[in-house]
Amino acid sequence: MSEGDIRLVGLVKRYHDVTAVDGIDMHIPAGEFFTMLGPSGCGKTTTLRLIAGFERPDDGKILLDGNDMSRTPPHKRRVNTVFQSYALFPHKSVHDNVGFGLRYQRVTKAEAERRVQEACAMVRLQGLEHRRPGQLSGGQQQRVALARALVLEPPVLLLDEPLGALDARLRLDLQVELKRIQEQLGVTFIYVTHDQDEALTMSDRVAVMRGGQIEQCAEPRELYEAPATAFVANFLGASNLVPVSVTEANGDGARLGLGSFTLRAETCALPAGADAVAMIRPENVRLEEHGSQGENRMPGMVEEVVYLGFHQEVRVRLATGTLLKVDVPNEADAIEPEQGDPVSVHMPPKHLRVLAADAAVPAAHTTAAVEQVPAA
Amino acid sequence: MSTTAPSVQAPAVPRTATWRERISNPWGRPRFLAITTWLYILWSLLPVLLAIRFAFNSGRSRTSLQGWSLRWFWEDPTLSVFNDPTLQQALKHSIELALIVMVVAMPLGTALALGMRRWIGPGSGVANIVLLLPLVTPELVFAVGMFLLFTTAFGFIGLGTTAQAIGQVTFTLSWVVLIIRGRLATIGKDVEEAAADLGAPPMHVVGRVLLPLLVPAMAASLLVAFALSIDDFVVSQYLASGADTTTVPMRIYSQARGGPTPALNALATIMLLVSLLALVLAYVVFRALTRGEQSDRGSAFKQLATDLG
Repeated sequence: MSEGDIRLVGLVKRYHDVTAVDGIDMHIPAGEFFTMLGPSGCGKTTTLRLIAGFERPDDGKILLDGNDMSRTPPHKRRVNTVFQSYALFPHKSVHDNVGFGLRYQRVTKAEAERRVQEACAMVRLQGLEHRRPGQLSGGQQQRVALARALVLEPPVLLLDEPLGALDARLRLDLQVELKRIQEQLGVTFIYVTHDQDEALTMSDRVAVMRGGQIEQCAEPRELYEAPATAFVANFLGASNLVPVSVTEANGDGARLGLGSFTLRAETCALPAGADAVAMIRPENVRLEEHGSQGENRMPGMVEEVVYLGFHQEVRVRLATGTLLKVDVPNEADAIEPEQGDPVSVHMPPKHLRVLAADAAVPAAHTTAAVEQVPAA
Repeated sequence: MSTTAPSVQAPAVPRTATWRERISNPWGRPRFLAITTWLYILWSLLPVLLAIRFAFNSGRSRTSLQGWSLRWFWEDPTLSVFNDPTLQQALKHSIELALIVMVVAMPLGTALALGMRRWIGPGSGVANIVLLLPLVTPELVFAVGMFLLFTTAFGFIGLGTTAQAIGQVTFTLSWVVLIIRGRLATIGKDVEEAAADLGAPPMHVVGRVLLPLLVPAMAASLLVAFALSIDDFVVSQYLASGADTTTVPMRIYSQARGGPTPALNALATIMLLVSLLALVLAYVVFRALTRGEQSDRGSAFKQLATDLG
């Protein structure tokens, strides 16, 4: 059996009267690239620090391959961390930074040397071994931090926003590299980020967190296409959240009331009579000529057109007053909507998802991706 | 009218600035600032330079210039620093005391600072304030208290070198803790966490990571402890037990009322040199230790200056 299976059972962490982690149950099988995603203060970093051992849980268990390690001090835990701040030792060379932890493993000098060289090669740091961290760029420092943790061959690697301090271009490069290393070594990665793109591109599974709890845990595609809650839909990518009421619900789907209009959705988990929001991604809304007939079509007026290169974002004010965001690709024969044009929007039933209304998530007016807040 | 119109089209002629512009030119060099700074530096150095000048006086006067000589350093057979046993004794005792204080206060203060960093919880806030209290307590009050302590409750220690050393360490400690904690704050907790994460037990976190990073601050606090001790008058005076525990400031003070000679100036000059030497030494050591940590030159001095507060 391969190592690196992590199970969190009813994990709780409180700071005075603030509950940072509020009863998390989670299973991360060995070798998975698992991401905890959420806004600042959602408890993702605290959860990671609990797994690393920097904080003591108030309740619950942390099982690594079946053994509870919640009472084990960090230096005896077989997990290693890559910090957002890198946390390199400024007085030691790259070589000595990478070799730091090997002293606590039973390896010969020659073996230690070989592993340091290997780790440096894996993160492409050859030739820089004798530099001090202060003489390296941000990206290089991050590689040292990675090598320093990986050289110990931990079954689980914890990464706390490791790319948070790097510029966009470097982030993309390192994302690819991280994924490559993770697949090559088969190590369990537990990755914390507030960047949805990072989460979607690298992860096998993503847990979206909110208020110390897990809102939804699923594969990236499912998370994006079938968000379980309005919060997840709103946090991941752009979405239209239209407040509706469920007028009829059965196995085939539901009928939704929006003003005097009726929409049909193919799936609906809510009972009739419930207050709900209908979620549809801007790229799934079709813009049609004014007056076109058929189900799930509503008249509206173009309020604003934003040119974004390969597509344009068209904001349509529906007859009910709701503002709907529509992504129109810039194809050769696309219609060119202009401000003030009357149009008809088509919301295909299979793309319309019915979610429970959530007071904390702004609906009615469509919202863009949640503002990126640095540091959790 | 006719003179202004063509001047609009004419190529810009370099115009001599009015004196008003010269004074208040925001892009110019801050002259007033520079002048004020230099005036202050001169003013603060003046008494020192004057004192040094009289150390080399060939006459007995400490007020009128009487040529140059090294008489008060060693040439005079009885009154020079080198030949007057009381002055020599004072110099020896001052340096001895300063060395003891240095060697005791630095490790103790470092340990305290590390302890304070780990200590979170009730009491830590109070301890913080109490530790810094000696910085603001009037030294005289502190010295009188110490005097009472060593003559009553701690009578077995009694007055003398030990009492002087303990007294000086007590107030020097606050400075050491301040300096070390300042550096600790810039080191940050994450490095400690990283070391623990990589498998280092708590003692190794201190030994392999924290202490090496603290060396510059430790050097700075050694220097500060030395300077504070050499300079101290009140505590040394109160806790002295006799002639053999007289320090340089005490000797200078008492002789200034008796028959002062330029030998006192010579003694002060020697003290100044010793202090300067210590500073230069600290800087050199500091440079050597922080090599590679910073890339630009001169930053070592800046760092030392920051660590010195």
